[in-house]
Amino acid sequence: MNYMVETKGLSKRFGNETAVKNLELKIPKGEVYGFLGPNGAGKTTTIRMLLGLMKPTSGSIHIFNQDLTKEKISILKKVGSLVENPSYYPHLTAYENLEALRKILGVPKKRIYEVLETVRLTDVAHKKVKGYSLGMKQRLVIAASLLNEPQLLILDEPTNGLDPSGIIEIRDLIKRLPSEYGMTVLISSHLLSEIDQIATSVGIISRGKMIFQDTIETMREHAQIKISLKSSNSHRAYQSLLTKGKQVDYKDGLIYLDDQSDEDVAEVVNSLVHDGFSIYRVEEEKRSLEDIFLQMTSKEDVK
Amino acid sequence: MIRRLLQVDFMKMKRKGFWFLTFLGPFGVVALQMVNYGLRKDYLLQQSEDNWGHYLGNITVFTPLALVLGIVILTSFIASVENETNAWKQLLALPVSKLSVYLSKFTVLAGLLFVSSILLAVFTLSFGIFLNLGEQIPWIELLKDSFYPFFAGLPVLALHLWIATVSTNQGIPITVGVLGTILTYSSYVLPDWVIWKWPSLNNGWNEPVINVWLGIGIGLLLYIGGMLDFARRDVK
Repeated sequence: MNYMVETKGLSKRFGNETAVKNLELKIPKGEVYGFLGPNGAGKTTTIRMLLGLMKPTSGSIHIFNQDLTKEKISILKKVGSLVENPSYYPHLTAYENLEALRKILGVPKKRIYEVLETVRLTDVAHKKVKGYSLGMKQRLVIAASLLNEPQLLILDEPTNGLDPSGIIEIRDLIKRLPSEYGMTVLISSHLLSEIDQIATSVGIISRGKMIFQDTIETMREHAQIKISLKSSNSHRAYQSLLTKGKQVDYKDGLIYLDDQSDEDVAEVVNSLVHDGFSIYRVEEEKRSLEDIFLQMTSKEDVK
Repeated sequence: MIRRLLQVDFMKMKRKGFWFLTFLGPFGVVALQMVNYGLRKDYLLQQSEDNWGHYLGNITVFTPLALVLGIVILTSFIASVENETNAWKQLLALPVSKLSVYLSKFTVLAGLLFVSSILLAVFTLSFGIFLNLGEQIPWIELLKDSFYPFFAGLPVLALHLWIATVSTNQGIPITVGVLGTILTYSSYVLPDWVIWKWPSLNNGWNEPVINVWLGIGIGLLLYIGGMLDFARRDVK
């Protein structure tokens, strides 16, 4: 398979501390790749290495099937990026900020107006960035990352500091990019809910190691369904089910069923009704991705 | 690419007072003599037969100090433009080589200081003519006094640019700057190998041009060393 980004055995050590360990990142073309992990897991370090801002201690990075160490400049021409906190020149206007980057990128001037329009900053284009709100600054650096119509867009926590409507706006923008411009997007976040809504692939990193990497559908399959049951005298009901050899759990006044076929559920309900318990609720509880994420990352912590 | 980087660097200097400082340095040096000659012109003219020579000598007392101060302030300014929101990471994630980014910064600073040197020559000449120091204007001496310190100061510039770009703590370049200014001020008692002495154009051989060649040579070495170290490091 052809990957836009592929790392092999990528590691970075700072002194004695290993920030990233043997990372095998694989990003297929046209995907929105969600790069997830708790704070301090090594996301930003990885992204900095992908952009050539840091040299890996060991391992290799290939972007567009080119070796980053050998062809950094030709690769970076086709990459747009936003790393951590927004960087800008506060004493310049938004237009001047973009112009400073445009000159180096060598793209036509009209791109400045196009990207300003995309992030809706056209009205304030000639105001100094110093006076911008955090959300506006964030939108400005997102505009900057789109300036060269990149084939690969790398966004490190792009929705940091945005208000809910700003988040939705940026999310919609990122969703559109692969289909409309053929971009591949790498977006990092510590919030799964954010990735959940835009990503098509996910990689989860914890303590510098990749602990999961696949499509988001595969990850959703990990979300097991549970049936919970509330009845009168729940604990007695639970015991009566146990004596009948049913696979059930009891927690906080609720009975949880392990077997989840329709027949099993019907059988359990039937037997409880038969034994004179009143059934108040039968609910399906879907484990959220959030739970899976927490479980995956905390499992790593225990080790 | 380097031409574009230079344009961008000049753009980033907007509204930051770079040009004002470039003007202020040489103006300050001459302004001190305006005060000096304004207060006791007759006395000063009695001191020597060679009025122009004496006047140039008075000017050169303050040139090295203004030059080193200018280097310290301008380098920390130019680094602060990138440091303020850590724009280094944005700049260096663009398709540019780190070597050319560094070269561009150095060129901008050297350019500004060169403009200061030109202004120093212009101001010195203008005030000299205003004072009516004589028909015989010592052109060669005037140009030497204005431009030699610039070349002799290149090692200080190279050293400062390196310190300002690689320190995460901006207290370090400021400390080095303060120490450098003190060293420049006391350059008379320093041995010849101390780079802060060089802009004063004094040396054991009484041959100012030696400081110029030393400045260019050692300046180049320090520049290359700083550039390679900047390129080698991970971006802040």
